[in-house]
Order: sequence, then structure tokens, then C-alpha cells
Amino acid sequence: MTEKSLCNENDFNDFYRTNIQFINNFSFYKSGNKDVSLDLVQEAFLKMWERCAEISYEKAKSYLFTSVNHLFLNKIKHEKVVIKYAKNTPYKDITNQNPEYLLEEEEFKIKLQKAIEDLTNAEREVFLLNRIDGKKYREIAELLNISQKAVEKRMSSALKKLRQKINIL
Amino acid sequence: MNNENYILKWFNGEITNEELAQLKKSEAFKNIEKIAHYSSHIDLPKINIDEAHAHFISKRNASKKVIKTVPLYARNVFKYAASIIFLLITSYFLFSNINTTYTTSYAENQVFSLPDNSEVILNSNSKISFSKNEWATKRNLKLDGEAYFKVEKGEKFNVKTDKGIITVLGTQFNVKERKNFFEVKCFEGTVQVSYKNTVLKLIKGQQFKVLNGNIDSINVFNTTNKNWLQKESNFISTPLMFVFDELQNQYGYKIQLNNIDTTKLYSGGFTHSNIKEALQTITIPLQLKYTLKEKKIIISKND
Repeated sequence: MTEKSLCNENDFNDFYRTNIQFINNFSFYKSGNKDVSLDLVQEAFLKMWERCAEISYEKAKSYLFTSVNHLFLNKIKHEKVVIKYAKNTPYKDITNQNPEYLLEEEEFKIKLQKAIEDLTNAEREVFLLNRIDGKKYREIAELLNISQKAVEKRMSSALKKLRQKINIL
Repeated sequence: MNNENYILKWFNGEITNEELAQLKKSEAFKNIEKIAHYSSHIDLPKINIDEAHAHFISKRNASKKVIKTVPLYARNVFKYAASIIFLLITSYFLFSNINTTYTTSYAENQVFSLPDNSEVILNSNSKISFSKNEWATKRNLKLDGEAYFKVEKGEKFNVKTDKGIITVLGTQFNVKERKNFFEVKCFEGTVQVSYKNTVLKLIKGQQFKVLNGNIDSINVFNTTNKNWLQKESNFISTPLMFVFDELQNQYGYKIQLNNIDTTKLYSGGFTHSNIKEALQTITIPLQLKYTLKEKKIIISKND
């Protein structure tokens, strides 16, 4: 079996199709804007294609993350992040239909949403990679090209901020 | 506080049962659980993979053209540049073999010999070019400005100017071709001048002069008079504008004339070695005054 190469059209396309959603998630955690996030991802993929010879297949995801990161920093630093919940988000206690409980949960959700929006990009991307994409700290560290300790630090400060805001609001 | 650690572990899915049991006891855990639960339900833009991929491919192809053509284009540019440089260099050598050129700028004279030992003294702001290779068969040269020739005996010697052609066999003569001014003076032997449709022969002491397209009636000059070869310029009934033109050629100064009638005739000369003296010899007889500032001369009327 030959090694996969990003310069191989088929390999590249496979890689693109398998990972576009995930990379886009990451891009979205940063920008909080779905149009912007896809633009960044497409541009990052384009760069990767142009420099395919320099990037190993194994490092491709990490390369894209870095690339999106740079593109993001260069292009859109100060846009407001806007997130929302999926329409059919189940409540924590699905059996509890008490209106008071439901209202409480809705309030909680709004607080959480605002708190997540207010996180730093670094905190938010780590937190959501873990929460939404189910990535372990080690995996996140690899993708972001930072140490696992750094990931844990970001996660920890993210959680601290979220809890604080939810308690205050 | 160990809870922090447990929470981190819990989020990373590596908490032990005992640790979790302890964590669950804490008041904070209720909120942590909610945070974990609701944050995982954040809506993400769903990517239509086919659409995104198609868009990407078209973008990639568009940029591929650019990427691929840049080096090709650049390579072609080098090719063109190389061939142009090659042409320039070869033509430079070819033409430099064919034509030898002597040029003088303001306040500069040059003395040189032609291949047959004929001598040329080139006055200021003038240019002569001729073909070394063809000199043995054709003694042709092109003059733009003023020069004095001492021609060795031999084949016809032609001086071509924009105004006319001077043909000689063996002689000494001066040719002056400036703006609106054409003058040939014969110092020795015979000189033939072709000007437009007229052809005439000059003998020693004769001159041919054209001012503003009109042939001057004076056709003799004193061969013992000093001329530019002795660092002096001499004029006989010459309009002032040509005198100042010559002054400018000899000294390289800019001359500004304030309300001066430049058609006034001037007879006399000026030295090439001292600007003040030269200006005085021109201005005093004509009752003019001059101011000399750096490289600029202003001539105006006496009050």
C-alpha cells in the first residue's frame, strides 16, 4: 500500500470530504460566523493544496488548524461571536415537564450561550472541541500544536469563567 | 481544591468512579453538568460537503491557473529579456564598428585625427560621426555643430550637415552648423558647398553663410582673424541671437535676454577664456548690461 499524499488528487479530495465539517466546526468556534468560517476553511485547504509537497498527510489536520488560525487572526480579529443552540436541544432532565423547570433551563441556556460567546477565542475553541467534537485534551493539543498542559489550562479557565458568569447573571 | 482537577478529568472522560462520586457531592456539579450538556448542543453550520467541495475545486482551478502561469510567464520574460539584451549587445558592437562618433558638450573642444590623418577640431556642443571601415573608399562624415578641418589630399572629402554638404579635396576649412545658422569658411585650397539647389566653390578667404535660411551677402573674411581655434569667437554683421547662442555654447551658461532686440547686427568677437571679459566685449559696444549669477547670465538694456 502506498503512502497517502496530499499532492495526490484523490487522496486530497478524500481528506477534504472527510474533514471539512470538523475543520469548519473549529473555524466556527473562532469566528462564530458561518460564512466567515467556511471562507477561512476553503482558503486554508487551498493553501494546503498549493503547498501539498511540504505537508505530510498525518500533519494535515494540524496544518489546517494552524492555517485557519492565522487566516482568522489576519482577517477578522474583532467580530462578535454569535452562537445558538440546535433547535431540538433536549433539556437536561427530559422527563421533567414542569414549566418552572423548563423556564429555569431556558434561562440557564441563555446565560451559558452569552458566557461562551464572551470567552477568548483560545478558550472557546478548546472548550467546544472538547464538548462538541468530543476531542480529548491530548488530541486538541496535537491539532493546535500546543502542549496538553496548555489545553488543560485553557479548559480550566474557560470553565471557571462560564461558572462565574452563570452564577452572577 | 481537588474538584477543579476532577472536573477537568470528567470533561476529558477519564475520571474514576470514586472521583466522580466525590465530585457529585459538590454543589457546583449541578451547574457543571448543565454546562457540559447544553454546550454540546450548540448549533453548528452544517456543511454541504458536495457543494463545498465543488466550490473548492473551482476556486482551486482558478488559482491553479495563476500559480502555473506565473513561473511560465516569468520564464518567457527572461527569454525575451535575454534575446533583447543579446540584440542590443550585438547591434551595439556592429554599429560601433561602423560608426565612430565624437561628441563635445558645452565649453569643451576636441581634437582628433581621421583614419587618413586628416585633422578635425570639434568645437563645443558638437558631434561628428563617420565610418572607420569605409573611410578608405569614402571620406564621408556627418557634422552637427561646428568643426575645423585640415584635410589630407586624397579622395573627395564630404562633410554632411542638415543644412548642406561641403566637398573638398585637400584643404583647411571651418564648418559651423547651428540652429538657423550655417557657415563655411575656407582657409586653404578650395571648398565646394552644396546648399539646397546651389553649388558653389569657395577659395581661401571666402565664406558662405546662411542666417535663418537667407544666404548672407558677405562672402569674404580675414583668415588672419582669430577664431575659435585661438579661443576666440568672431562675428561680422551677425544677428545678436547667434552671438549669444555661441556664448552659451562656449561657456555653458544659461542666458536670459530681457527685452533685447536679437536681430541687431554685431561685429566683433569674444574670448573663450574669461566670461566677464567676453560679456563686456559684447555688451559695452551695444550699450547693454549684464548680471552674472552662478551659471546664469541676464542681459538687459542700460537704463
